[in-house]
Amino acid sequence: MIPNVAVLEIESPHFHMPRLWIPLLLLWIPLFLLSPLILFVILAACIAGRISFWRAIATFWGILSSLRGLQIRVATHQSKVSIRIL
Amino acid sequence: MNENRRQILEMLAAGKITADEAEQLIAALEPGSAPPAGEFTGRIAGSNGWPDTPVKTRAKYLRVLVESMEKGGPTTVNVRVPMQLLRAGVRLASLIPQQAHEQFDAKMSKHGVPLTLSQIKPENLEELIDHLEDLSVDVDAKEEKAKVRVFCE
Repeated sequence: MIPNVAVLEIESPHFHMPRLWIPLLLLWIPLFLLSPLILFVILAACIAGRISFWRAIATFWGILSSLRGLQIRVATHQSKVSIRIL
Repeated sequence: MNENRRQILEMLAAGKITADEAEQLIAALEPGSAPPAGEFTGRIAGSNGWPDTPVKTRAKYLRVLVESMEKGGPTTVNVRVPMQLLRAGVRLASLIPQQAHEQFDAKMSKHGVPLTLSQIKPENLEELIDHLEDLSVDVDAKEEKAKVRVFCE
């Protein structure tokens, strides 16, 4: 299942951003509208690279749908950046 | 009925373990049952004097923890990567064009690594990921004041 929400937190001595919930669901809507164009570009790239179009689609879909649960957190004594994909 | 099996069913009836855990325990009791690759062992606390019972659970995430002591203070990096993402990522290798395979093989053998990328099959990669679940790396560099831990959970 594709991720629906990303949670972003940035904290530094001069800047404190409240926890930001990014609804990725809204991002998928324009992406689906642009999908014919995107698919055409991928098809062209696959033909140029002589790789299977369906395999490429399956691989990228696999990566996209397994992004859920990814978490990256970097913290120093002053700053903190955290990204979570739910 | 086997006494161990009865004990598992009693634990299930008492709600101490779930149906999945009970199934895994019963499967583990069967003779010749070896733990599948990529599963690690946890424990369920025993009751009525029975010893703890091993439970196999599949690792879901690869965790990388880095702690280092910088001049200003400690810096920590905590990355949690879903195993599913690793599996999808290794499939990217199948998208590498044939010409790139040859160039890669030539460069690798030039550097003393006789690796043929085209001979790596998807099932090999799956096996690699499965065995990665048993991986645990601990690096403790006292001079650099840094600690690195890589493990699956």
